[in-house]
Amino acid sequence: MPTADEQFAGLRKGLLEFAILTIVSGRTVYVGDILAALAPTPFATQEGTLYPLLSKLRREEYVDYNWVESGQGPPRKYYQLTDKGAARLDELGAYWRHLTATLEGLGR
Amino acid sequence: MERVVTINLNGNPYQLEEPAYDALRAYMTRAEAALAANPDKAEIVRDLEQAIADKCASYLGPSKSVVNATEMARILEEMGPVEGDAPEGAARAEGAPREDAFSPSRRLYRIYDRGAWTGVSAGMAAYIGIDVAWVRVGWVLTTLFTGGFAALIYLALVFVVPVASTSEEIAAANGAPFNAQEVVERAKREYARFTDDNAPRWRAEWRRQRRAWNDQMSSWGQSSNRRAATAAPPQAGYATRVIAGLFAFIFSVITAALLIAFLIAFFSLIATGEIIGWSPPGEAPFWLVLVILAIAYAAISAPFSALRKTSYETVTGQRDTNGSDGVATAAIVLIVGWFAWMYLPEARDLMESAYVVLRDFSNYVRETWLTN
Repeated sequence: MPTADEQFAGLRKGLLEFAILTIVSGRTVYVGDILAALAPTPFATQEGTLYPLLSKLRREEYVDYNWVESGQGPPRKYYQLTDKGAARLDELGAYWRHLTATLEGLGR
Repeated sequence: MERVVTINLNGNPYQLEEPAYDALRAYMTRAEAALAANPDKAEIVRDLEQAIADKCASYLGPSKSVVNATEMARILEEMGPVEGDAPEGAARAEGAPREDAFSPSRRLYRIYDRGAWTGVSAGMAAYIGIDVAWVRVGWVLTTLFTGGFAALIYLALVFVVPVASTSEEIAAANGAPFNAQEVVERAKREYARFTDDNAPRWRAEWRRQRRAWNDQMSSWGQSSNRRAATAAPPQAGYATRVIAGLFAFIFSVITAALLIAFLIAFFSLIATGEIIGWSPPGEAPFWLVLVILAIAYAAISAPFSALRKTSYETVTGQRDTNGSDGVATAAIVLIVGWFAWMYLPEARDLMESAYVVLRDFSNYVRETWLTN
């Protein structure tokens, strides 16, 4: 019997963007922070997925990044939420609450 | 025992065992295929390379300098497959200005990725924040209206503006607008560093050429191919490359002018027995005057050639320019010569007198050797 994580991969995939916007909304983070924050959750992901997704979010102007010098190694891209991204996150949150409320309502 | 391959990951060298290299190359090929339709492909590939580089670095230390196949397999496992993203949001905000507090200051770079030819226009477009098509149209129009003068500026930019190669430089090419005060201070700082870093190297190069010349004089006829096999110079900073590009341009013109002067003197000496009005003292034999002329030319031009070569090496970051500096010099000579012909009457007179010299020479050859 596959675990819930394996069975509902498609469901999580659509929500990954939501999860990333939520992380980025709290503080400015670089990719390592995002991976570490997601690792213990069902949304655990990898660079191969994250970089294309962040690039898409930046193209849609939901997030933006700054180059910040790191103590060792090359400078890192620190991502932060834009105003447009904050609006998107509110919208997603409202829709998510609407969805869960609907699902619960259907069972009654 | 495995062969080791040295690769460049986003501007830094890493050594991999050959199977590790093959695995990485296969991964990057798949990633690039998955991102084929992505407008930010180049940037994502650079990010992936940097992430792999960071992971490689965590396996390396003072006593370990090569990444093996097992470690690379683990790294690529951690990276995960690269997922393509549907080309829906293709309406890309091209060059949207991002005015961030701590972005690197904006600099003019050539951007090969987006450029059609030399990347000058793409770099200017990123710098100004407009579409590259407008910049190209601008070049064509100004070239037409200035009688070709803008083309000379374009050529100079190809030399003077460095190519953005690492992600930092590409970020700087699109970065926050610069602040004039900072630019002036940076220019001062970079110039000071440039002279500190490079003056000894350039003096050394000059001395080395002098020495090579002296060696050649003492062992006449032997091959002088004794170029020291030194490591490639480290990639120089922005201002260093700008100044080196300027010097490459100037020294190209000087060496070409010396060569042309030598050829004129040589032919005119053979044809008329005098060099632009000056005739050698009567007792010196004719062949000796020619030999002295050739030696004088070599002695004068060798240091300038050395400086030119060093400039090109600084610009390209490569020890051996494979004769591309010679091709570049020829192109500069043609274009500068054309402009001199168009706009400087003195230069035109000189070129016409050069033609007269050549004509006299060919007449001389015809009369002396062919009609006998």
